[in-house]
Amino acid sequence: MQRITIDPITRLEGHGKIEIFLNEEGNVANTYFQIPELRGFERFCVGRPVEEMPLLTNRICGVCPEAHHMAAAKAVDAVYHVDIPSTAKKLRELLYMAFYCTDHTTHFYALGGPDFIMGPDAPVAERNILGVIHKVGLEIGGKVIQMRKYGHNVVEIIGGRKVHPCTSIPGGMTKGITEEQRKEIEMMGRWAVEFAQFSLKVFNDIVLGNKAYVDLILGDIYTHRTYYMGLVDANNKVNFYDGKVRVVAPDGKEYVKYEAKDYAAHIAEHVEPWTYLKFPYLKNVGWKGLVDGPESGIYMATPLSRLNAADGMATPLAQAEYEKFYATLQGKPVHQRLAIHWARLIELLYAAEHWVELATDPEITSPNFHTVPTEKPTEGIGIVEAPRGTLTHHYWTDERGVVTKVNLVVGTTNNNAPITMSIKKAASSLIKNGIVNDGLLNMVEMAFRAYDPCFGCATHSLPGQMPLQVTIHDADGNPVNVLKQFVD
Amino acid sequence: MKTLILGLGNPILGDDGVGWVVADKIRAVLSDPKSGIADPQVVEVDTASLGGLSLMERLTDAERVILVDAIFTSKKPVGTVSKFTLSELPDLSAGHSASAHDTSLRNALNVGRSMDIPLPEDENVFIVAIEAKNVYDFSQELSPAVAEAVPQAVKAVIDLIN
Repeated sequence: MQRITIDPITRLEGHGKIEIFLNEEGNVANTYFQIPELRGFERFCVGRPVEEMPLLTNRICGVCPEAHHMAAAKAVDAVYHVDIPSTAKKLRELLYMAFYCTDHTTHFYALGGPDFIMGPDAPVAERNILGVIHKVGLEIGGKVIQMRKYGHNVVEIIGGRKVHPCTSIPGGMTKGITEEQRKEIEMMGRWAVEFAQFSLKVFNDIVLGNKAYVDLILGDIYTHRTYYMGLVDANNKVNFYDGKVRVVAPDGKEYVKYEAKDYAAHIAEHVEPWTYLKFPYLKNVGWKGLVDGPESGIYMATPLSRLNAADGMATPLAQAEYEKFYATLQGKPVHQRLAIHWARLIELLYAAEHWVELATDPEITSPNFHTVPTEKPTEGIGIVEAPRGTLTHHYWTDERGVVTKVNLVVGTTNNNAPITMSIKKAASSLIKNGIVNDGLLNMVEMAFRAYDPCFGCATHSLPGQMPLQVTIHDADGNPVNVLKQFVD
Repeated sequence: MKTLILGLGNPILGDDGVGWVVADKIRAVLSDPKSGIADPQVVEVDTASLGGLSLMERLTDAERVILVDAIFTSKKPVGTVSKFTLSELPDLSAGHSASAHDTSLRNALNVGRSMDIPLPEDENVFIVAIEAKNVYDFSQELSPAVAEAVPQAVKAVIDLIN
């Protein structure tokens, strides 16, 4: 059997790799996507006061600390059985919208977008944010930096610190905002709406205006008919901070809708011997292996999933884009993974619009931002939508509020099975009878980049350009060919 | 030159927190009048868990930067302290100066410069790297060999300041 290894080399060697096994005919038999997982966070937390969790969980991930802060904040509220004041909820959500704008912007312009803006065949050295700036113009770089700056500013104003917010506590927030701050936040939000519209226009002009790109998106190579998960509000509209978890089947019909506290009745985790990372799946559908279709419990949780799992967007401009999205991609749900990039921009617009809505809400400057918890702490679950998927925090404490057990299902883990399937499908289409297409590296990269995966977190950063090494072994395991991309 | 010293890493992820430990020691040395090292050019000593564009944004207005970070090459003994500049470093392989979510620090600095953000030149971005062992298990403890290397890393930074 021929064996191909794709090794994303990072500063941490052997950080993750993809192994492709070929059958006797030289076609793909199986692919394995392996990453070493950070260990021991749950154990690290045991014995600590549960109110520390929104700060500690910030440190799980360097990419989305705000998402962990929010899930943790909701979980500790639940541990103390406290309903937080609506101003506190709105402040958290406002911070979260600003974070989303920063995060989605960064992914689109620095990671995902370059595949389209520069084109999948462009030299890898140009498929990055610098290439985008050179192609689209300096103006775009300035806007990206400005968007990030405004996002950071709001996180700092409401969250007390840039990047790692510290103001969410059991029962609400440690502080509110002044009218002056509100005005500043509103101004930045209005700018963000324009920026999101600009980004959608860039996508429209460069991607949708190019038939080859549209064909690439709609092609079979990145298509999987799975279940889709996302939080929805009472009207089944996309929500990032609150609501119920809704799952739709591959035919688009609602399969189940449940409250955060019931997640364990619906989600189970499959373990494979070749990876530390678990494979969450829909318990009541069952694990049928790494296959799609209605009989397989594999689901996806990404911007595209959220759009598929909802009936629409809660803000008018994003709703119009939502309708255009499904009209252009010919139906709902959309199963083509590369459409995640477009969905991400529609979410960017929603986040910006909702930012303005919250910043102009009369309650947002109210001093009523905290309710003192009075119940005895026990157990609590908090779910939010992280930019890269549904994020679940579950804590158990003793009667003093000291953590006794922690369970986390993080955004990227949800997508472990779909990512693995996408890699296999991309590899299968590019390796025929032992002949490896030159585009293998790029196409495999594009497969998992669409999901915006975040594996190691804070420190274990896969480099932005995702350097890859493909080693092709013959039937006896001898390396016969090595394809390299950005590997020193 | 206005100098920023930045300890990078995750303070609760074992050896990955060594950059923070070194930065704390340097802060103590610089604030101690008896140490004799009081360089007015050192405008700030700080810690951060950043990479890519976020790290670039943090470096705004600094003319010279000394990053202190854990590195994991498996090619050098644990605790080995290395010094180099960003321009000497193979792109994409430098700890927190690369990023899962956006771009490498070198790319990010180029982006920033093209936006006229005042940023240090690559040759004025120094990296003091400490070869790490445990960077996968959450812990507030450093491995013994990494802990032993802290004074040497502190000295390496002080030498750079001087």
